[in-house]
Amino acid sequence: MNVVGQVRKGAYFDSVTLMRVGKEIAGLPGVTDAAVVMGTKSNKAILKSSGLLPPTFNDASDTDLLVAVKANTETAAGTALAAVDGLLKKRTSPATMGGESHPVSLGGALEALPGANLALISIAGRFAGEEAMRALENGLHVMLFSDNVPLEEEIALKKFARKRGLLVMGPDCGTAIINGVPLGFANAVNRGNIGIVAAAGTGLQEVSCVISNEGAGISQAIGTGGRDVKREVGGIMFLEGLTALAKDKATKVILLVSKPPHGQVLSRIARAIKRIHKPVVTIFIGAEAKAGGPSTLDEAALMAVALARGKKTEDVAKELVARDAEILRIARREAGKRKKRQQYVRGLFSGGTFCAEAQILFNNRLSNVYSNAPAGRAKQLKDSLKSQKNTLVDLGEDEFTVGRPHPMIDYSLRNRRILEETADAETAVILLDVVLGYGANPDPSAELSGVIRQASRTVSVVCSITGTDRDPQNRSRVEVALRKAGALVMPSNAAACKLACRIIQFLGRK
Amino acid sequence: MMLISIGDRVEEGLYRFHSRFNRAVNFTQGDHLVSVVAEEIGDGPRNIVIRDLNTGQTQKPLEISAGKVVFEDGEFPFADRHRYCSTLECETGASPRFSDNLSLFGELLRTMSHPKSLAFLLDDQRIRNFHSGFERAFAEQVKRSVNQIFHGDRLNGVRSLSGCGIGLTPSGDDFIAGLLIGLNLRGEGFRGLVNQVFAAAQTKNIFSSSFLDLARQGLLFGRMKDLILALLQGGQEAVRNSAGKLFAVGGSSGADLGTGFLMTMRHEVRVS
Repeated sequence: MNVVGQVRKGAYFDSVTLMRVGKEIAGLPGVTDAAVVMGTKSNKAILKSSGLLPPTFNDASDTDLLVAVKANTETAAGTALAAVDGLLKKRTSPATMGGESHPVSLGGALEALPGANLALISIAGRFAGEEAMRALENGLHVMLFSDNVPLEEEIALKKFARKRGLLVMGPDCGTAIINGVPLGFANAVNRGNIGIVAAAGTGLQEVSCVISNEGAGISQAIGTGGRDVKREVGGIMFLEGLTALAKDKATKVILLVSKPPHGQVLSRIARAIKRIHKPVVTIFIGAEAKAGGPSTLDEAALMAVALARGKKTEDVAKELVARDAEILRIARREAGKRKKRQQYVRGLFSGGTFCAEAQILFNNRLSNVYSNAPAGRAKQLKDSLKSQKNTLVDLGEDEFTVGRPHPMIDYSLRNRRILEETADAETAVILLDVVLGYGANPDPSAELSGVIRQASRTVSVVCSITGTDRDPQNRSRVEVALRKAGALVMPSNAAACKLACRIIQFLGRK
Repeated sequence: MMLISIGDRVEEGLYRFHSRFNRAVNFTQGDHLVSVVAEEIGDGPRNIVIRDLNTGQTQKPLEISAGKVVFEDGEFPFADRHRYCSTLECETGASPRFSDNLSLFGELLRTMSHPKSLAFLLDDQRIRNFHSGFERAFAEQVKRSVNQIFHGDRLNGVRSLSGCGIGLTPSGDDFIAGLLIGLNLRGEGFRGLVNQVFAAAQTKNIFSSSFLDLARQGLLFGRMKDLILALLQGGQEAVRNSAGKLFAVGGSSGADLGTGFLMTMRHEVRVS
């Protein structure tokens, strides 16, 4: 074994550089061990005990830098030592080291991570537009988590980005998965060949989780923010996202998710789809489903999976018919447990898209549906804090979130409401969504089990879980805990809504 | 460039150029080291924090007079409001919050800190991060020394830990700085011990000696002060945030300092 060393008198480099250089030297061909350390007495003792102390180090002092290399051959050792100069001069990017970097400006962040191509911006809305424009000017795609960005700024940002071939996801874009990296409220899903463009945050989470739980995966999931598909913005980023996925070699099937876009925007999307030579599945929650097309988020996701596997989408319909039969069986059993006066469902949602999907599903099956965020034929609640007949509340609306964390993070408001609704003699079903993933409440089982246990003594508690087993909370673990507490856990929001609906229908026939 | 803050131990005078890093330029006057640093490095008793710092190319001296810093031909006026206060007067007492937060900090060290930090002293599993012969020998020596500090001949342990390990301020020195900060926080009764530990850890490395001297006097860098305040008064989120910022210091320096501090606060260190 050849041991060689260099003493660099009075040479000072910061710790991050020294650690990087030590690691890089150790990775050079033929090198079996290396150390880059200050020449203190203690370090010399350690070098000696690990067989890395050449005689030249004996006179080194605390202020000298020692570079020691152990290699298989003399040549490898010499080559490694010769590389030290270049390695020390190379600028260290803090973000590539084990330590975390905390830059305080976009400029600082770019300096820390020069190869970055996306900026995630989450600052007060009135400042966010300016910061997003700065990012675009630096050639970065933007995910704009902030809301309350003025509409005209959104339009200007998106037009500017389009000219530069960049994406602006948002404002008010809560979730995206880019190159396998979950951004914002997103889930740990499999990578695969299904690309998603979504103007509905929880809608994106739901379809990506259903896809992943089916064993398929996501190539990219691009959020646009809900306002993108309105007339004023004109679907600029929805269309850009669609085009990007059409060009993306890793994407075989495209899935589009949104609440109904404005008519003009819808026409543009339809024209764009015609130009694409890949299967495209669309789910515009609340819009009339086209013949053979999906009517729920889970159906859309399952169809995308079928297409990605080269199967027929008709098989999905058969699968769902079988599931509906099971739902009917459970509903009959649950209805049998309820008292005569119990006749209404109370849906308490943390995801706005789920609340909208529930209303659409209920509209076709139940009358007297009320919401604080009405969609379809649902009526406006007079007071969001008081339920009327069949009520579906979006707890993520501004009226509930001003000055407090989002209900996906903080369950306290919903938990109180669950108990209030349970105390209402007319409540038969409590319908809940439980959203897992990064950014969401880290321990939903602990937060919910107590109230579910209490509520399920008198009402049916039906819930869906949006998440995967790879999420920090682990979907299976949460499911077991909620079932144990007494909840009826369904595989998707649509399935949970259907079950809740069926229970109410059976009670109506009683 | 704009001056953001100037440490309360930066005194007037002319300082000689010493060294230049990516985000810091260092100057000396006798044994005193003063650093002009970028905002990412943050406040310190002898730091001058400059927004959009250009570390420059020259070796011109740093000039500090009443209300003005001259750095690389640029003049940066400052007022009292720019002075960073590095002292902290508080009592840890038997506060249950402090104790809970300290446990959380230990957990964060075990799970979030640099893989080659001294947090392996808190979790044996982390020893797997030390692969090479040098690293394994280093880890063994640290373990022996720290064991001596808390369960044997304390000053001998400090001597063998001093100057031990990777980094500009070797990991061992960072740990000892954490030990000194912890002892200072535990109260006046530990003053004598603080001075003994400091004397045993003497080094010619000006970065280490300056760092240890500040720790001896209980003078804190912004990130360490924020952490201690979070441990004493903050919630879990505050502890997580301040721990994350501390761990971002240097390669593993912040985590090594934190490990020394945590172990000192947890162990019943004898005064004699």
